[in-house]
Amino acid sequence: MTATEVQPSQGDTRARPGPRALPAAAALAVLVAALAVLPLVSSDSRLFTMTQMFMAITIASSWNLTGGFTGYVDFGHVVFFGIGAYGTGIVMNKWHWPFLPALLLGAVAAAVFAVLVGSATLRLRGPYFSIAMLGTYGAMREIVRVWKPVTGGGSGLSLPLVHNRPIFYYVTLVLLVVFLAAIWWMRRTQYGASLVAIREDEIGAEMRGINTTVTKASIFTMAGFVTGIVGGLWAYQNTFISPTIVFVEGTTIDAVMMSMLGGLGTVAGPVIGGALIFWLRDVVWARFLDYHLMVQGAVLILVVLYFPEGIVGRLSRRRGAVSLAHLWRRRRADASSPPDES
Amino acid sequence: MTRLLQATINGVMLGGFYAVVALGFSLVWGVLGVINLAHGELVMLGAYITWVMSRDYGWEPFLAAIVVAPVMFVFGYVLQRVLINRVIDKPHLTSLLVTYGLAIIIGNAVKLKYDATPRSVTTALRGFWPLGDDITVPVTKFWVLVSALVLMTSLWAFLRWTRLGASIRAASQNREAAKIVGIEIGRVYALTFALGAVLAGFAGLLASPIQPIFPLMGPVLTLKSFVIVAMAGLGRIDGVFYGGILLGLVEVYAATYVPEVGTNVGVISSFVLLVAVLVLRPQGLFRGLKAAR
Repeated sequence: MTATEVQPSQGDTRARPGPRALPAAAALAVLVAALAVLPLVSSDSRLFTMTQMFMAITIASSWNLTGGFTGYVDFGHVVFFGIGAYGTGIVMNKWHWPFLPALLLGAVAAAVFAVLVGSATLRLRGPYFSIAMLGTYGAMREIVRVWKPVTGGGSGLSLPLVHNRPIFYYVTLVLLVVFLAAIWWMRRTQYGASLVAIREDEIGAEMRGINTTVTKASIFTMAGFVTGIVGGLWAYQNTFISPTIVFVEGTTIDAVMMSMLGGLGTVAGPVIGGALIFWLRDVVWARFLDYHLMVQGAVLILVVLYFPEGIVGRLSRRRGAVSLAHLWRRRRADASSPPDES
Repeated sequence: MTRLLQATINGVMLGGFYAVVALGFSLVWGVLGVINLAHGELVMLGAYITWVMSRDYGWEPFLAAIVVAPVMFVFGYVLQRVLINRVIDKPHLTSLLVTYGLAIIIGNAVKLKYDATPRSVTTALRGFWPLGDDITVPVTKFWVLVSALVLMTSLWAFLRWTRLGASIRAASQNREAAKIVGIEIGRVYALTFALGAVLAGFAGLLASPIQPIFPLMGPVLTLKSFVIVAMAGLGRIDGVFYGGILLGLVEVYAATYVPEVGTNVGVISSFVLLVAVLVLRPQGLFRGLKAAR
């Protein structure tokens, strides 16, 4: 690698707001304001689609924290969504808790699970971490299916009925905006730089005094917590949960695809990728419903092979944003040396 | 005691089948360096070919091998040339995502064609051989185990004694050196992947008479292959065999001794085994010829 590849990304992302910051901020404010008044003019089904999109983008952004910023590609991320949904669902169904404390409990359960699983799997590098998380997801799905007295097994759980689309719309919108702002801010802190340092060169980061174990575990926990919140919200909105509709691989694939299409390891990437994919789904794929998943698989392959740096990466390449190709060249060096020669 | 013996017999037989499932996966990973997440889908294709031959022409499943082998060989060869070849030099995550996309496409294409109903194939080799009091040997599974041993021995002999086998081993050990001594690396890779696809097809054939087959059966088989290869260490056929047997035993013991939900516990235990092996011994339980990379 050359020095020019690494240096600007640090200098640029932590620089003071440039001359283009003001128009960008104004555009963002207009967008958020437009989204805020949308329920006044829009139909319920449109709001529902938008709510689903906000949830998917929030999950993708949390996946991007570990997969994009820190370089640990999680193939079982939906497990946190499932635990959040079930944590919320179980206490609402069995103990009749009100929604908000139940939601909090579900999210905390997902975060605790992230700590426990992460402490084992985050020691693994590259594909081993990815596959271990895929296994974790598979195991949890089966455990939920088996543990009938608590989870209701394969026949699922019902939650109290609620029919208020605008509420869910606003809650998911606020969650997404707050979360994105937090990521944007975090990216500019020392902590955010540590994440990228771990992705670029984990051993080097450790030698420079970054406590990589704590950094990795904390970002993984944060990702799990936020995905858990989305899971709880989704469960309440859907009023019914079962292993087959909550622990869906497609949720993870969506998160990966949105992040990659938009730009891995960027704040705006999952948002742009998510909006694009939802638009495509609405306009194009709805006509070929049977082929939906096949098209999704094909898009994944094409993006990975021909567009690995994503939209944001392509646009901002000159400004030194970290591209996926760049990240994965590093990972190759990492993965081609055996993990343990003992 | 009877129960333990019976469970052990069943576990070893299931394990033999799992070993065949993992065989092609191990070969492709070891030689091409590609973790093929669509491996389970190749197994599923083999199972569906067998099912079609049995349904339309009334063929014995074991006989369907003469159709499965050429079809899977050509499919694997073309797939490697068109797609897999593009990810060989790329980082692992590229190949993981590409083969993941491929798995989704194959699984859903078969689902569109033959819908999601689980199918089964009947064979004349069925029934049980009594073996002492209350212990029986299921005939079909016995022949599956025999086929597994034959397949593994043939693969071993092929790699050991044929010229192409030597080229494949050379390519897996040192790609550059293999090129220098005049091995056409592209051809060897394509043939290896085709061979892996054939082995996967055979695994599907063996699955068809002993368990229900359905379009989305693939991902679980891929993960089990990964467990076995992670335990075996890359590039070891005997390791794959022991790993398969171990997994089979774990699943059957769980199914036998955990009341009611045993079968699901078996599935869980294989995933737990996967995570545990990866975390505790990433270089494999039986030391591989080379550490997993």
